[in-house]
Amino acid sequence: MLYLHSTEQLLRAIALACAALSVAIGIWYLVRRPHLHRVTKALLLLGLGVFPGIVSLTGNIASFEYTLSRPFCGSCHVMGPYLRDAEDPKSNSLAALHSRNHKFGENSCYTCHADYQMFGAITTKMNGMRHLFKYVTEYASTGPDGEGGPPIHLYKPFQSDACMQCHSTTGKRYLDQHADQVEQIRSGDIACIDCHSEVHPLALSRRPGAKKEEKK
Amino acid sequence: MKHEMAKKLVFFSVIGTIAAMVFMAGSILFPHPLLLVLAMSMGQGIAIFALAMFLLAVALDLQSSGAAYIAVDESAPATPEPGPETPPAP
Repeated sequence: MLYLHSTEQLLRAIALACAALSVAIGIWYLVRRPHLHRVTKALLLLGLGVFPGIVSLTGNIASFEYTLSRPFCGSCHVMGPYLRDAEDPKSNSLAALHSRNHKFGENSCYTCHADYQMFGAITTKMNGMRHLFKYVTEYASTGPDGEGGPPIHLYKPFQSDACMQCHSTTGKRYLDQHADQVEQIRSGDIACIDCHSEVHPLALSRRPGAKKEEKK
Repeated sequence: MKHEMAKKLVFFSVIGTIAAMVFMAGSILFPHPLLLVLAMSMGQGIAIFALAMFLLAVALDLQSSGAAYIAVDESAPATPEPGPETPPAP
């Protein structure tokens, strides 16, 4: 029995059903090779135009939704240490703690690393294409966790805006604990991770290029 | 001639669409980053090209059937030209 638990799964099911119908109409045409009557043209319009259009639309949305998830980020082998750390129930790293948050746990990579500007989703996805290019050209033949490849680093310093989406800088407890630096934190002179630096500890010790650096 | 070409175009259009659908369904079932990017760019490109070929085939088919209709029409006996209009009865 097929159960659909989310909109993404529903879209994927619709896309697969339409793809199957389109292929079925195509195979019917190839086997029967009927004359191009009105009915044949109408059927082919469904099989070559309408159903593929639905597959493109629903498939794109479902794929975009999937690209926000942690399994997608972890599907490149160099992300293995990051993924294992984030999913480790005993780990106390910030990545693991946030991944255990049921509000966005499954999308923890994207939630913390996405840009939050007006076109944040677009710039994040463009960076994703850059990741893919780098992966294919620089990391594809590296070790199981990317050993031997160049060190992984962020394209730009981590912005505290990502933290402040959830952690308000106006709460009483926050102000009590950060009274001396609150203005500098808000202005960006001090980043959250300057002090809360245990973000990906396991990953950092096993990151690609670590062995290379140790030898130097 | 055009009808034969239309049939060929439809044939290649169907092949292209099947390939694109398999590609895109594969990327939905096995969403690896590289496969996803290829399917959602190349797969959709192939599907759009295949649809364009089908529409061209339909246009060619309509054109050839229209030409055949005109040929049949021309071979039919010419209808007598209408005479001068009769003046309306007073």
